[in-house]
Amino acid sequence: MNTRMASWFARAAKVLAVTLGVAAAVGLGAAPAAAQQPVKITLWHAMGGARYDAITKDIAAGFNKANPSYVVEPLYSGSYAEAVTKAIAAIRAGNPPHIVQVFEVGTQTMLDSGAIIPVTEIVKPGEINFGDYIEPILNYYRVGGRLYSMPFNSSTAIIYYNKEAFQKAGLDPNTPPATFKDVEEMGRKIVASGSARAAITFGWPSWMLEQSHALANRLYADHDNGRNGRATQVLFNEPFGVEVLARWKRWADEKLLAYGGREYAPNKAFLSGEVAMLMQSTSQVTTIEKAARFPVGTGFLPRVEGQPAGKSVIGGASFWVLKGAGRSPKELDAIVKFFKFVAEPEETAKWHEETGYFPATKTAVGLLTKRGWFAKHPNHETAFKQMQQGIDSPATRGVLLGNFVQIRNITDTAIEKALSGKLPPKEALDEAAAEANKLLAEYGRITK
Amino acid sequence: MEGRFPNRILPYALLFPSIAIVVAFLIVPSLQALRLAFFEVSPFTGRGLFVGLSNFRVLMESDIYRHSLEITLLIAGGIVLAGMTASLAVAVLASQPLRGLGVYRVAILWPYALSPAVAGTIWALLFDPSTGPATLLIRALTGLSPNWMMNGTYAVWVVVIAAAWKMLGFNVVFFLAGLQAVPGELREAAQVDGAGAARVFWRITFPILSPITFFLFVMNSLYAFFELFGLIDVMTQGGPGGATDILIYRLYQDAFISARWGMGSAQSILLFVMVGILTALQFRFAGRRVFYG
Amino acid sequence: MARHGWGALLGTHALLALATVVAVFPILYAFQVSTLTFQEVFAFPPKLAPGHAFLANLAQAWERVGLGTLLLNSSVIALTVALGKMCLAVMAAFAFTYFRDFPGKGACFVIILITHMLPLPVRIVPTFQLMETLGWVNSYQALTIPFFASATGTLLFRQFFLTMPPALSEAARVDGAGPLVFLVRILLPLSANNLAALFMVEFLYMWNEYLWPLIITSSNDMRVVQVGIKMLVATDAQAEWNVIMAGVVAAMAPPLIVLLLLQRSFVRSISLGQEKG
Repeated sequence: MNTRMASWFARAAKVLAVTLGVAAAVGLGAAPAAAQQPVKITLWHAMGGARYDAITKDIAAGFNKANPSYVVEPLYSGSYAEAVTKAIAAIRAGNPPHIVQVFEVGTQTMLDSGAIIPVTEIVKPGEINFGDYIEPILNYYRVGGRLYSMPFNSSTAIIYYNKEAFQKAGLDPNTPPATFKDVEEMGRKIVASGSARAAITFGWPSWMLEQSHALANRLYADHDNGRNGRATQVLFNEPFGVEVLARWKRWADEKLLAYGGREYAPNKAFLSGEVAMLMQSTSQVTTIEKAARFPVGTGFLPRVEGQPAGKSVIGGASFWVLKGAGRSPKELDAIVKFFKFVAEPEETAKWHEETGYFPATKTAVGLLTKRGWFAKHPNHETAFKQMQQGIDSPATRGVLLGNFVQIRNITDTAIEKALSGKLPPKEALDEAAAEANKLLAEYGRITK
Repeated sequence: MEGRFPNRILPYALLFPSIAIVVAFLIVPSLQALRLAFFEVSPFTGRGLFVGLSNFRVLMESDIYRHSLEITLLIAGGIVLAGMTASLAVAVLASQPLRGLGVYRVAILWPYALSPAVAGTIWALLFDPSTGPATLLIRALTGLSPNWMMNGTYAVWVVVIAAAWKMLGFNVVFFLAGLQAVPGELREAAQVDGAGAARVFWRITFPILSPITFFLFVMNSLYAFFELFGLIDVMTQGGPGGATDILIYRLYQDAFISARWGMGSAQSILLFVMVGILTALQFRFAGRRVFYG
Repeated sequence: MARHGWGALLGTHALLALATVVAVFPILYAFQVSTLTFQEVFAFPPKLAPGHAFLANLAQAWERVGLGTLLLNSSVIALTVALGKMCLAVMAAFAFTYFRDFPGKGACFVIILITHMLPLPVRIVPTFQLMETLGWVNSYQALTIPFFASATGTLLFRQFFLTMPPALSEAARVDGAGPLVFLVRILLPLSANNLAALFMVEFLYMWNEYLWPLIITSSNDMRVVQVGIKMLVATDAQAEWNVIMAGVVAAMAPPLIVLLLLQRSFVRSISLGQEKG
């Protein structure tokens, strides 16, 4: 059997399968409408560990109880990357879930999938009070003025620090560093006093590079960070990005920076007291406070001095609605009601308390303030206060890139190469930019 | 012909299921992989864009893939060298008439029953940077504090140890079988002639073992190239910093996480070339005594 | 056999015991950790005696990843493929050795041999696409049928059948017994060792398969236990080794049992293969 025959067979089989699939979907779709069954909404998510319980037992179960004619069925689909991959596969197969939780890095992919229903299309005017939502969070998932997905677990990066180590080094335990220069001065004192082995570390190196750009109101990619047409070139190898990486490299050379790996790997070094400061996602604040054996302080992410004021960038994930073969009005109503439920002050406040992700609405923030939560847990408020500062511009709304997962991988590698001295910062970033641009070109070619 | 049945249709019927499955699920997809390698494919529509040799060119030029190949060869080399040497040593020890040989052999075979994912999980625990027994042992013996989560070199070592450990019993069993085929009289005759144990081993035992050794070399290499995905995915996810980013893990990332089917297929073809080389070597050098052909 | 002194014998035993410890200790350690509570895992100095929390840990692992369903799926898949492979391998080997030469015999043999050169990663993307086309994504079919053909098994049995004296089947033919009767009544019982060995190898292989189930299953009712282990391990927070190890114990108990039951056949089948050349 040669390839042409094989692909003919494959195509014939595909047509047959799709026909049968559509027939089945139509047949099955007709049935529940007639039955008295509650309308089922499937939700694919990537919340593992303790958050699995929060999403399954608290949120889904709570919603189902409050809405007996609807049932939300959450399904843990692996890591963020795996959940998106499976959702796309399901899109191809024609039977995607109603809602899928996609990390912020997958935004461009979802926008280009042709398989989503933007949130603004399914929410009737006035049904959800978008004005109550925390603006920067909505802005991440808004393109061209339309809101495409529903924010759920949003975070940003802040700096955590060991108050005990600060005190031992003769620093004020209530004053975290505000600039890179502060990090250097305070860091030198810390290392000199021996109160910690190293001054600072950070997780998510690519994200930190993106943050440093956003905080300085600088674009990370062309076409207004990919928000005004698809991005074709990254800009992190311009002088500013190189300067940031060169700064980090100097910290490493001075033994101020102890690079501890990607994502959440460096948390351990901070928790064990080896490193005095940690730049990390605010979604870890509950975990870190619980696990640390010393008083933990938090502060705004340190900025590069002498730069225009920007704003830190949103991370985390959001809920996307998938078209499938078409959603009935009842299904759409269920989805909207679920989104409303998740944003109810009590619900989003509880989610925030358990994790550290932002409470989604201003009402929720007010509720937590009234309860004295922030007074008792000032660290939980830091990220929120940080998001209130600065300006809103394409540079601060977050960059949208195709093949972003791979690009983050490339940038992580470049940063690691520079920090370990394998390549000078400029060469490392130039190399990464070249590869990233190739990926963006490939993405552009196949996503016409 | 003696002993053969005359039926004409039956052999086809007996062969049909195997042939059908091989053609439908192995051969046709493999040919399609060859075709797909020349395309860039949209993950949403499955539509392909012909790009000629572009995928292969990217693979050759990119640092990340070159590094991945190096790491894979390094890890495979470690598993083959360290694993097979240790197994051979154990097998030589165990090939003397011993009481309790059966017990040793079963015990040493235990790790073979585990999956690479489980083996990876257990060794991640053993080498846990704060509490793992292996970490503590190494600290006590050498004063070093290996943290495989942060240090790429250590990560490679832990991967090699975990992977070689898993194959230990399998290699030992085959070496033992091979050693049994060495005629005792030959060894005794050499020893009577005054040859030391080492010379006996190198001049007599090892050459007779070479078919088995070669067979195990191929099996261990295939294992290192293709079977370690579970171990890497559970333990290191290719890290830290790409230190354990083996070819099969890269393939998974590109093909299924980044949904670049064309690029993934190009990597499949390169892997096929490597399998081809190994298998060709096997067919050329394998003696009649090798078991699984 | 050359004579060794007592010292050498003791030394040999000591070294073999060391090898055994190296092989077995990690597994036993996993068992032990699965009986501890979370705090006990991180206690320093490390606790060496088994604890009492095994059932509690197992229950947690069970609930977190649906261990029951995972074990069921792994069992069904491993058994189906092992048995399926055995059947197809025996049938194919029988066709190659016990019939007068038929047209296409050589080609069929080559086709089956080629599977050696086509491990899954070489064809993984198109096979995945094929599953999508057939609608087999996230199904038992996808997890079993593509694995039914086996070059190893076919070669194993072909080699074994070739060593059978022709008089055996000649006698059966003279008696008027058909080939299938001969296969089932006479050959299979003689092949017991090889059957057991192949079953063991293929059962272990399928039970431990990770990559294919990872990409082809998307819901919990189809997932296998190996992927469940990954789900237990992958958390942002500190790994809960006690719960993870409880899951690991559940994942390794069945293959260990299969190994213990069938390893003698496996070893025998290799040794006999060696002797017969």
